[in-house]
Parts: sequence; C-alpha cells; structure tokens
Amino acid sequence: MPDTPLHSLELSHFLLTGAVLFVIGMIGFLSRRNLIIIFLCTEMMFQGVVVTLAAFSRFHLNDTGQTFVIFVLTIAAAEAALALGLVVLLFRRRHTLDAQAWSELRG
Amino acid sequence: MPYFLYIASVLGAVAVWMMMPRHGYSPRKLGAVVGAMTLGAMWLYLARHHLPPSDEAGLSQPAMAYSYVFSALAIGAAIRVITHQKPVYAALWFVMVVLSTAGLLLVLNAEFMAAALVIIYGGAILVTYVFVIMLASQAGDPADAPEYDRVAREPAAAVAVGFLLLAVLLSAAFPTEPHQLLRPNPEARGPSDAFIIEQYLTDRPAQRLEELTDDPQQLRQLAAIESPGALDNAERVGFDLFHNHPLGLELAGVILLVSLVGAVVIARVRTEPPQPPEVSP
Repeated sequence: MPDTPLHSLELSHFLLTGAVLFVIGMIGFLSRRNLIIIFLCTEMMFQGVVVTLAAFSRFHLNDTGQTFVIFVLTIAAAEAALALGLVVLLFRRRHTLDAQAWSELRG
Repeated sequence: MPYFLYIASVLGAVAVWMMMPRHGYSPRKLGAVVGAMTLGAMWLYLARHHLPPSDEAGLSQPAMAYSYVFSALAIGAAIRVITHQKPVYAALWFVMVVLSTAGLLLVLNAEFMAAALVIIYGGAILVTYVFVIMLASQAGDPADAPEYDRVAREPAAAVAVGFLLLAVLLSAAFPTEPHQLLRPNPEARGPSDAFIIEQYLTDRPAQRLEELTDDPQQLRQLAAIESPGALDNAERVGFDLFHNHPLGLELAGVILLVSLVGAVVIARVRTEPPQPPEVSP
C-alpha cells in the first residue's frame, strides 16, 4: 500500500469517471429493448461502482474497498449466470429478445 | 465550478440523445463530435483548475495523465455499448470498458483487482454473454437488425433522468467551498505492513534470495525489488478478505452455489425419453 493518500481533488476525477459509467449504464438499461443489452448495461453499472470503490480505497488507504470489489465481482458473476439462463428461457418461449414481448408482466 | 459541470452534463445529455438508435435519420456523428468536445473541454478545465499543487498530490503527474486516457476510453466505449445496434459489437465494446477500468485500477494501485477484473469480466462473463448472443440471434439477413435493436425506447426520458442523476452526483463529488472537501479518515487507515507481518504473519517465510540464483548481479537486482518488510497488493487484499470479512467470503460461496444450481434449473430443457415399442404377445 502506498504511503501518500489520494488528494481530495484527484479523488473527484475518479468519482466523475465512476459516476459517468454508472449513469451511461443506467440510460442503456432504461432505453434499450434487447434483453441481452439490458443485462450488459447492468454489468456496466457495476464497473462504475468498482472504480468508485477502488478510488475510495486509495483515498482512505484502506484495503476493504478492494475487498468489496471481490464481492461485486461475485455478485456480477452470479447475476450474469442467472440472467442469461432466464434470457435463454424467455427466448425459447417467444422467439424474440424484445423486452416488450413480455409487457403483459406489468399486470 | 459546478456551473461548468452542469453545462457539461446538459451537453453530454444532448450528445448521448443524438447517438441513441432511432427511426429514420440519426445524427450519430454530430452527437459523437459534441460528446467528445464536451469531455475534452471538461477535462481541460478540470486539469487546469481542479488539481492539487504537485507537492501535495497523491499521484504522480504521469499517473493522472494515464487516468485521463483510461477514463476517456472507458466512457467512449461505454457510450458505444448502449448505442450500437448489433449486440455482438456491444459486447466487444464492453470488453473495452473492462480493460479501461482495469487500467484505472492500476493507476489506483489496485493491481490484484485489475487482474481479477480482466480475468473474470473479460474472460468468463463476456464469453457467457457472447455465447448467449450467438444462441439467441435470429437467422436472416445480417444487414438488417431486428426492430428492437434499431430503435431505442423513450431515449429522451432515459437520458434526462440519467444526466439529472449525474449532475447531482457531480455536485457532491466536486464541492465548491474548500471546507467541504473530503478528508481521508485517519482512523480508517489500514494497518501498516510491518504491523501485519509482526502480529499475524509470524511464520511468513523470509525469502532467501541466495536460493534463487547464484549470479551476483541477478542477486543485486532481486534485492532491489524484494523488500522483506513490505506486503504487496495481493497479500494485503487477501489479508483483509480473510481477516476482516470471513462471513462475507462464506456468503459469497453460498451465492455462487445457489446461482449455479439456479442457472442449471432455469435453462434446462425437459425432453421426454423415447417410449419403448409395445410388444404384442
């Protein structure tokens, strides 16, 4: 672990990148209609969180931020396996990846 | 200061909105130019007015320069992921996002996490995505993508909500007054390398460099990089994981097992076994 912490003004730059990645992923999640792209966008939101966690870990010189990145990766892997299994199941039922094919689930 | 960031948020929102796929003519190139100019102008402004003097900086100047390069790559590739009409290309641009994020982690001295990110995301998760895209892509003329890939749903509302959230986040990340600046919490600082080695890693074997090589020149080079009183990043993260978060580690294993079983159950196809032919007596 390095001795000097990240300066507060430098931290802001990394928070900016993390926030932009998160927000772009959110926009894609809300506006794209392909189920696979929707789940790809959730992975991109994870990337934004990973950058933020690592930046705060370096800022406070505390390794727990990087440990949480391991947990984020675990959740991302579990989510990808389950979500893609669901996508395959839904594709077999309707033969389309359009999220609007399942709009009756709105109730 | 925040006014500049608010203007950049609005311009970025316009750029992303222009690049979203839609019916008819889509001003994608114009949007890319507006977005690139907004990002460039914002970073020029921030690098001039929002960096500490070099004697107080935590990172060296080349490290900050690399962080700008990796940030630009990550953001550009991320925009391409959500605007590309073909899912395979979106997945490949996402690999670019992962690699750039790994670069940012390297700048932040998180070497182990950078390697893990490339291996797990770029290797395992992305391969799964590409497999599913291949499995679920419809046969047909490759020139025309299906309609749900060519047209975004409510892009204006999504972009407005997203960049509103971004403006709020940036107003918290870039404070205006000096007293609002975040300070590192000295009590949150992790234990020093020497303390960990002395208290917990008592039987950590000291590396005997003489056993590795006989060449005196190589021995000097090894002694220069090997410092017996210091832990490297992987050792520190591993110590933190196993010493401070053992319950979380066990729960992560349970979650992975549950998702493994769940994925098998969800994606399984029920097939009836073939009926044996009836034998008439």
